[in-house]
Amino acid sequence: MKERQIMFATIALIIGGMLAIQFETTNNPIIRDTRDLWELRADLEKEKQRQQELNEELHRYSELLNKYQTEGKDEKIEAMEKALADLKKQAGLTTVSGQGIVMTVEPFKDELIGVDRPLPKIDPDMLRRLVNELNRYDAKEISIDGQRIVSKTPIREVNGDIYINNKPISDFPIQINVLAKNNEKLHQKIIASPAVEEFIREDFLVESSPAAKVILPAYDEDVKVKFMKPAKEET
Amino acid sequence: MWLPVLGLVLGLLLGFMSDIRVPPEYSNYLSIAVLAALDTLFGGIRAHLQGSFEDKVFITGFFFNILLAAGLAYLGVHLGIDLYLAAIFAFGVRLFNNIAVIRRLLISKWTDSRKKA
Repeated sequence: MKERQIMFATIALIIGGMLAIQFETTNNPIIRDTRDLWELRADLEKEKQRQQELNEELHRYSELLNKYQTEGKDEKIEAMEKALADLKKQAGLTTVSGQGIVMTVEPFKDELIGVDRPLPKIDPDMLRRLVNELNRYDAKEISIDGQRIVSKTPIREVNGDIYINNKPISDFPIQINVLAKNNEKLHQKIIASPAVEEFIREDFLVESSPAAKVILPAYDEDVKVKFMKPAKEET
Repeated sequence: MWLPVLGLVLGLLLGFMSDIRVPPEYSNYLSIAVLAALDTLFGGIRAHLQGSFEDKVFITGFFFNILLAAGLAYLGVHLGIDLYLAAIFAFGVRLFNNIAVIRRLLISKWTDSRKKA
């Protein structure tokens, strides 16, 4: 009887192992690395850059930490206020200005598209794509029709109107202000970008011009944070 | 009673901890082998309950069924016929039958013991 139990146990052990291996295999299959030399180099480059960014960040934070630790109470508060102001600026809660480009979007004149055709409509996807491309070409801050684009900005269509930050945008022309370090370059790139071509295909005239001073309003709604928790302080 | 369960848990743990994975082209064979193994295990439990258990039959059945199932699948791949379906069908049906018989045996045992009490 005892022998039989051991036998069953051995068989069960084997079955358990097989089940576990099968489970592992189906849930995370082995993915073959099929990158060629150039792709590997590009990835390596990307990772190196990331490492550098992380190092810089680490450096910045350790400096900040140092400051907190070495300075007195008032200075601590000052440092925290500075950090808070920095964060607010990063989140788009302050008015910012600087050099950049000013873009305008308006429908083509009647003579070009024909008198009978209805006024073209902007699709929110077109605006989203434009924002994405501006960001890709190193735009620092963007506002569309006086609405600051922050990381949580919704661009939606409601009953045929475009809403940005839950506010309807006004009539044409729509003005898009963009801050950029190198505004000439951004101007050149965005004028030739696929997003702008998309606007032209939909009968919109898009113009862009570099400007020495562009003012972007602050994001004026509450930033709702749903999925974040304060980190526990290590003692 | 507890030894086989312990064995199963231990096997599962070992399998998960060892992080062995089968290449995707062989995972079919493994799945059929698992089915065959399960079939044999339930067949063994049934034979045990019916009192007709034989060690040699059980052990040879276990390995032979696994090999046969995997071999059938292999043959099927090379012939272009989905022969593994035959194995799945056969083992699946037997698995259900065995489990049904085990259930009946357990129920009758239970009612017997209640009558005695």
